[in-house]
Amino acid sequence: MKLTSTILAFGLTIMLAGTAHAKSPAELNDLEIAHVAYTADNIDIRYAHLALAISENPDIHAFAKTMVRDHTAVNEQALALLGKLKAQPQDNFLSKSLNKGAGEIIEELSQLRGKAFDHRYAQNELAYHKAVNDLVENAFIPNIEHADVKALFEAGLKIFKAHEGHAEMMVKSLK
Amino acid sequence: MSTFVNRRTALTNTMAAIAAVVFASVSVWPRNSHAHAPAEHTVEIKYFDYHPKSLTIRLGDTVTWINRDIAPHTATATDKSWDTDTIKRNDTFKINVTHDHSGEYFCRHHPAMTAELILASTH
Repeated sequence: MKLTSTILAFGLTIMLAGTAHAKSPAELNDLEIAHVAYTADNIDIRYAHLALAISENPDIHAFAKTMVRDHTAVNEQALALLGKLKAQPQDNFLSKSLNKGAGEIIEELSQLRGKAFDHRYAQNELAYHKAVNDLVENAFIPNIEHADVKALFEAGLKIFKAHEGHAEMMVKSLK
Repeated sequence: MSTFVNRRTALTNTMAAIAAVVFASVSVWPRNSHAHAPAEHTVEIKYFDYHPKSLTIRLGDTVTWINRDIAPHTATATDKSWDTDTIKRNDTFKINVTHDHSGEYFCRHHPAMTAELILASTH
């Protein structure tokens, strides 16, 4: 149920149970999980660049710059680890769905300006980090097999939880 | 002649006494003003927190921040009077403690991260 809520929060349209090749997030292998994480990082970087282009609020800019900085750092670590393991991340249904949902949100955000944009961006950041944290903590980390990959996700979760707290502060300050 | 010698001797003794006092003052001064040897402190940044959260320092000490997180961090005075600038993963930044380094600080990138330096008296 928790995972279903997470997926709904992403705005996914795939019906997991009714698709022949579908898996649940908990069934993804380490390389598929790595792909989802890389995708999720890049999505938040895209949101941040949009915020930097549209918003005029200094707090939104500071937050967006932090998202770019931190998610880039996580991706660099992930790529370094995959290089060390001589492995390639594997695309999968969840990565595709995340990208589809992100495309819709970017389309929506692109139409907004001023406070309307700031509020929507902040709300989306809070919802997005909550959803990703739920996914990482409850579906990915318990099922990752490789110790180094698991350690990376545990470190990443600390970062994303800090982002969630930061986003929560931002949402409150914009009210 | 004897008066001259006596005066010269007296002058020499006086100068020797002054030199002795000056020497004694100079040699004693560092011990009185810096009763401790300068300490080298380390603050570890890990899991989005500073360890230790509160650190007592003295003038002349050094403080080195080392970032163990994947995310870059800073240590920045709340009043912005000093700033380590961005410290990337496994990088360090060292300061020599001055009167400026007293009080609370935070991470500019993650404002919920806070800690403090307490400047203790050197006397």
